[in-house]
Amino acid sequence: MSKRTANALRYKYPLPVHPLVLPELIVHNPISWAVWLYQYVRQCNALAERISVTITPEGNAFPHIEVRDPTDMMYLWDNGFFGTGQLSRSEPTWFERKQLELSKDTVGGGKQLSLEQITRSRRQQRQEFKQQREKVEAELLALRQQGVITPEEESKVLEREREKLRAYRESHSSLKELPGDDTSLPDDIFDDEGNLRRLEALELLPVEALFLTYALPILDISPKELIDSIISSDDPAALDRLLMHYTAYHHYRSQGWCVRSGIKFGCDYILYKRGPPFQHAEFCVQVLDSEDSKPYTWYASTARVCGGASKTLILCYVTRNSSPEQTRRWAADGKLADVLSSMSVGEVVYRRWVPGRNRD
Amino acid sequence: MSLPANDLEEDEVMQDWSSIAKLANDSPLAALPRRGEKDYEPDGTDLQELLLYRARDAMYSTLEQGVRGAVVKSRVVAYYDPQSHSAVVPKPRGNFLQTMGESDAQGALWLEFFEFMYLAERGTVTPCWKRHDDNNDGDIPLSIEDMYALFKDQQEMDNFAIYSQLKRLGFIVQLASPALSLYPPGLAASSPVRTASNALHRVLSTVSHYRMTLFNGFMYNQWSWYVRRYTSSPQIYESLNKLIQCAAVPHTAHQLYNDYSPQDSSQSLNITFNVWKPNPAFKKKLPELPDFQVATYNKNSTQQSFPTYKELQAVFRSLDYKFSFLARDSDTEFWDNNTYIDGELRSAKLEALQSNPRNKGKAKASKPAPPAKKMKGKKKQRTVSPQVEQMRRPKNGYRSFLLAVMDNGIISFAKISEADFGSEDVWYKPAPGQKNNTAKPQRQTSKIAA
Repeated sequence: MSKRTANALRYKYPLPVHPLVLPELIVHNPISWAVWLYQYVRQCNALAERISVTITPEGNAFPHIEVRDPTDMMYLWDNGFFGTGQLSRSEPTWFERKQLELSKDTVGGGKQLSLEQITRSRRQQRQEFKQQREKVEAELLALRQQGVITPEEESKVLEREREKLRAYRESHSSLKELPGDDTSLPDDIFDDEGNLRRLEALELLPVEALFLTYALPILDISPKELIDSIISSDDPAALDRLLMHYTAYHHYRSQGWCVRSGIKFGCDYILYKRGPPFQHAEFCVQVLDSEDSKPYTWYASTARVCGGASKTLILCYVTRNSSPEQTRRWAADGKLADVLSSMSVGEVVYRRWVPGRNRD
Repeated sequence: MSLPANDLEEDEVMQDWSSIAKLANDSPLAALPRRGEKDYEPDGTDLQELLLYRARDAMYSTLEQGVRGAVVKSRVVAYYDPQSHSAVVPKPRGNFLQTMGESDAQGALWLEFFEFMYLAERGTVTPCWKRHDDNNDGDIPLSIEDMYALFKDQQEMDNFAIYSQLKRLGFIVQLASPALSLYPPGLAASSPVRTASNALHRVLSTVSHYRMTLFNGFMYNQWSWYVRRYTSSPQIYESLNKLIQCAAVPHTAHQLYNDYSPQDSSQSLNITFNVWKPNPAFKKKLPELPDFQVATYNKNSTQQSFPTYKELQAVFRSLDYKFSFLARDSDTEFWDNNTYIDGELRSAKLEALQSNPRNKGKAKASKPAPPAKKMKGKKKQRTVSPQVEQMRRPKNGYRSFLLAVMDNGIISFAKISEADFGSEDVWYKPAPGQKNNTAKPQRQTSKIAA
């Protein structure tokens, strides 16, 4: 099976709530109506058993919202790409990776590299290449300082060195497996029977957790409990911030985007059309209050970073149509629908404009 | 992610002068010289000094090449008029006439101060101060320093810098003016019908908002999931996306008309310039709608801060240019029938110009141009799949303007556009042929309530 069809099957559902599976309805067959109706009433979109979350440490400014059950972790990842594996790039694959790595002596030979290993090996290659280049530059400077070189000779030397660097890069372009870097892990990664322990948990963003309990019935915690345990009551600004970010998150999620943290690109969220395995994210989103005005450098630098990764920067302005006090009161009473119905979003695309490229 | 080398903007790379002088003299057809190596910082060596000296020397010798100066006979004199803070050219001559200034009944050309400044800096006109005695040859020539002293404030100077930057890059730039508009005259005035419809709209939206709040109160109740039934993922999305209100972004001409409100001086950010792409067929008297509109913003000024959403919205509402989402740029017929110049349709004005017997010769000469343009447009026309189109819309946005940011003499541009994610549903819809896939047994059946 090709990768594409495998992915299409694996990530068939964009949300962890699945549509009902109903038998075919045949118009001229009343029995099929009965079966259909029976199925319709009996089935339910909600999960039979909600997924349990652990919030540690409670009341901290940076609480961890974790899902620890391996099946639940994969379920949340496969159905809408929620959360990030704490020891992985994003998909929680540490356990499988580690097992594969440990079993390498017995299997041996050309093994498929995991995404994390590829990244690590690429980074190391790049670093080695940079070291080579620095060496060349230092040599050239030494020649200049001795005064034994003319500009014409220099350009020749440079050309030669560049050729060498190119050859170096080509000869080192194959990816190789690097020794593991799990030195930061505790020593007891094995349990008493010598089996690998499941150390990894799936960590949810506060907005993701809120979406999974408030908008969809997935987590075994009520929205109010969740908010109370991740936000201390003496910090109303944090609550405002969470509600604002949730407004933006819900807005994009409910339009069908796959929303993930954009911290790698210096912004709040990145939007995938379907999900990370399918294509690169197209948009970077910065959530702003509609009254916000940041220094120009902030906009320009964010746009540069996003532009450098060929993504479009979206400034998502959230407008509050009721007073902050009212919003907080609603939130305290658990009336999130009132809070969120009173919010509205407007989007602005911020893009660097180069005159020379827009002349015709 | 590393970008390919040719992605570097040509405007941003320093010019290399080292062989231009040779090129101009020896073989004008030779290829352009290659750029030299870049040194990032002084390394204290003589060699670097030598390279720098050579490069500088090459530039100066290039500049010194050839005879420089103006021919007295073809000199164009512009006089500064302190009262109107503009300049007048009594005997205008030259290419700049096509795109700049305004002629009066006497055939003299009036230039805005920034246009005057630009032409004087380029040496196209000789700036003078008119002495109001009787003798004409007693004019006082102005130096560039004198000219700079005539700027009224920092903002005017910033505007000039931005103007001259765009002009030097080939764009046609004019002050934004309400005389050239997409909107029919009288639209801006709040007619009773419009106010009434606005009021009605407000009432309706309040009612619908109230209804939505009720719906959401039910929808997001913890128990509602045991009552509701969804038979496809899109249904789930459709019930979710009613929670958050989205800003109304005009997509059609009608919506634009309703949302338009001309700019007033109380706005903190205003459209300053209309900008057209370089176009040899540009008509100063009968311009098309501009391609871009520019607002200027000084980063270091204490009076200005980066616009908030409300201020941006005010600018969006006042925009008045060739909105690319209404029609193609090449659809001249549409644009001529939707451009008002001094309250009159451009198409009507063009017709009047062509039927005028005095202009017959001219009209004929200019006639073959539009069909050629149309052909070009047709060639470019490519059909794109709806999915690609859908991804382009949020990327390009709808109404947009250019924000020219002045930072200590360095100008950068940002394109600010209104996006509308609320009107795009991007959830995955399996193609009709893929239906068989969905019928396959589910992997996660155990997860679903039995």
